[in-house]
Amino acid sequence: MQFLIVTLVKNMVVVMKNNSDLVVNNRIKVYRAKQDLTQEELAEMLGVTRQTIIAIESGKYLPSLGLALKIAQAFEAKIEDIFVSSK
Amino acid sequence: MKEKQYYFYRNLTIVFVSLLIGVAFSKSLYFLALCGLLTGMLILLAIRSQARIIVDERETSIKEKAAQVTYIIFAPTIGLGGFLLIVLARGQYYYLSSLGVVLAYLALFLLALYAISYRYFSKKYGGGHEK
Repeated sequence: MQFLIVTLVKNMVVVMKNNSDLVVNNRIKVYRAKQDLTQEELAEMLGVTRQTIIAIESGKYLPSLGLALKIAQAFEAKIEDIFVSSK
Repeated sequence: MKEKQYYFYRNLTIVFVSLLIGVAFSKSLYFLALCGLLTGMLILLAIRSQARIIVDERETSIKEKAAQVTYIIFAPTIGLGGFLLIVLARGQYYYLSSLGVVLAYLALFLLALYAISYRYFSKKYGGGHEK
């Protein structure tokens, strides 16, 4: 019984971990300020919700490659200038 | 229709339909309850078609993780629960034993469904042959 509970909890932790070995910072706020865009405006440009932009800026959500490329295109910058990984 | 408006009208419709169904059932007016339910569903569909709701990748990702956690908790729980009910209630409490059998079959159904959907998505998203 204990073994089952431990296995269950381990599985849940694996599901909840979100690439925790890779830390990605972003400069979306900076680029947004440069182009005088609000979070709402940027969200509308990218076809996502404002909550998603907030989550990306605060580092709580890592966007998919497609969305990251869209963000780079929106700011007319390179993806590696906006998203920087650190270990 | 904006998102806030949609949620307001949706919640209003749900409350109204729930009240109507509750009153209809209390007065044994089952036909009225059914009509109320169907009308409510149509209204919700009409409202939804007018609303501009964005379901983006983050939302999808959240739903996927929530579904996974729910499955991880639910499947073993009903499997174990069913097993315990069958074993402990054998002979004495027939109805609990039957409930245990139902839960056990449900758990098996969940496992089969997961296996089938896993295989389907594994093929859909490529990855080659399994080792």
